[in-house]
Amino acid sequence: MAVNGNEVFSKVQDVLTDALGVDAAEVSSEATLQGDLGAESIDFLDIVFRLEKAFAIKIPKGELFPDDILNNPDYVAGDRLTPTGLERLKTAMPHADFSKFEGEPSVSKMPDLFTVGTIVKYVENKLRAA
Amino acid sequence: MRWIWIDAFVEFESRRRASAVKNISRAEDYLHDHFSGYPVMPASLLIEGMAQTAGILVGEARGFKENVILAKIRKAEFDGYAVPGDQIRFDAVLETIDDRAAATTGLVLKNGNAMGKVDLIFSHVNQADRSLDLPDENFVFTDQFLNLLASFRSSVGHGIPTDVGK
Amino acid sequence: MKFGFVDSIIELTRSERIVAVKAVSAAEEYLADHFPTFPVLPGVLMLEALVESAAWLVRDAQAFASSMVLLQNAKNVTFKSFVKPGSLLRLEVTCRQLAQGDSDFDGIGFCNQTEVVRARFALQHFCLQEREPSLAAVDRRITEEAKERFSLLRRSVNVR
Repeated sequence: MAVNGNEVFSKVQDVLTDALGVDAAEVSSEATLQGDLGAESIDFLDIVFRLEKAFAIKIPKGELFPDDILNNPDYVAGDRLTPTGLERLKTAMPHADFSKFEGEPSVSKMPDLFTVGTIVKYVENKLRAA
Repeated sequence: MRWIWIDAFVEFESRRRASAVKNISRAEDYLHDHFSGYPVMPASLLIEGMAQTAGILVGEARGFKENVILAKIRKAEFDGYAVPGDQIRFDAVLETIDDRAAATTGLVLKNGNAMGKVDLIFSHVNQADRSLDLPDENFVFTDQFLNLLASFRSSVGHGIPTDVGK
Repeated sequence: MKFGFVDSIIELTRSERIVAVKAVSAAEEYLADHFPTFPVLPGVLMLEALVESAAWLVRDAQAFASSMVLLQNAKNVTFKSFVKPGSLLRLEVTCRQLAQGDSDFDGIGFCNQTEVVRARFALQHFCLQEREPSLAAVDRRITEEAKERFSLLRRSVNVR
């Protein structure tokens, strides 16, 4: 299905301004959901529900925001992801930009992977596959 | 003040929608403090009425196995206010439900007229999730709530008057 | 029981910001229903406490001109943790906008410095006599009681 990038970004922007109560100006492509936009864990669920509705897509658990990495001992050593963990995360999130993260894959920096751009990319991928 | 903000279900379609009514009466003593000489139903308690209606709808959809906890009020908007003698109806619709959470939308009606909208997100909380000394058994769906639904189901066909033709 | 979910006001910068406390006690009757085996402050009462804090800011800013101060809407109210009896809920409310008939706020509730609730909400305020002149006496009664309660709530604070 042909995907209009601007339209996707604009609808994602609306979802995030509604779900997080932020101004559209703050919802730039690089903005991180947690750090910049103040999203909490319930907001992540709210965002998934709204995206499903806005784009008529089904988002299976963990597909947009993987949630099986941190509680797996093969993937985490101390405060960093193991090489296996990093690979697993990259496979699970083809929609994320790992250029900053892979140099220092610390657990505390994982939330920075969840940017507005990550969501836009995910939705575009999903719509193309539909 | 008891913590029950709906009086009876008037509709219940499993996994889809539910409606419950709440009468506002001068006999509810907290009203005399909100405000003295002019009782007005606090909007926060109208939100709770919707949360109880929608929460039972969400819980029933999964057999009341999980603790269904209000996690987020997406929005609650009111036009006007309600006073003793008014009958409130909460119409809740189940939008989405999965293992972790559910989303509902809802209309609040006063004497049959729209007076508000309340959209909610509930979280399914169990012991594994929050490690907060949660009780072993489901603590949310008490007899008080389960009886409301049971009463509705056994009264279907008998009719509960909901409109005194105001 | 008295319907009031602010127990003391600890800071008040007129028209701008208010910090108040709601003390949560097992003696509050509704806790027996919420829930019988796990008593916790209902989320909507955390919101009510934020709303009442904002209402005190409005009443003070307007010199108690409005008798009725009501919640009109709330958005993106998130409940992050359970608040148990014995806890003190610290309510920090900032005013975004205050006009004669309506106002807008951001509020956060903390227990032991952990955020437990966050909300954005709007109030509307008016006098009953604006709608029904015969209710002027009721306005006065509500206003007098509000002034008394306010002076009890802020007995240890200087209004800046």
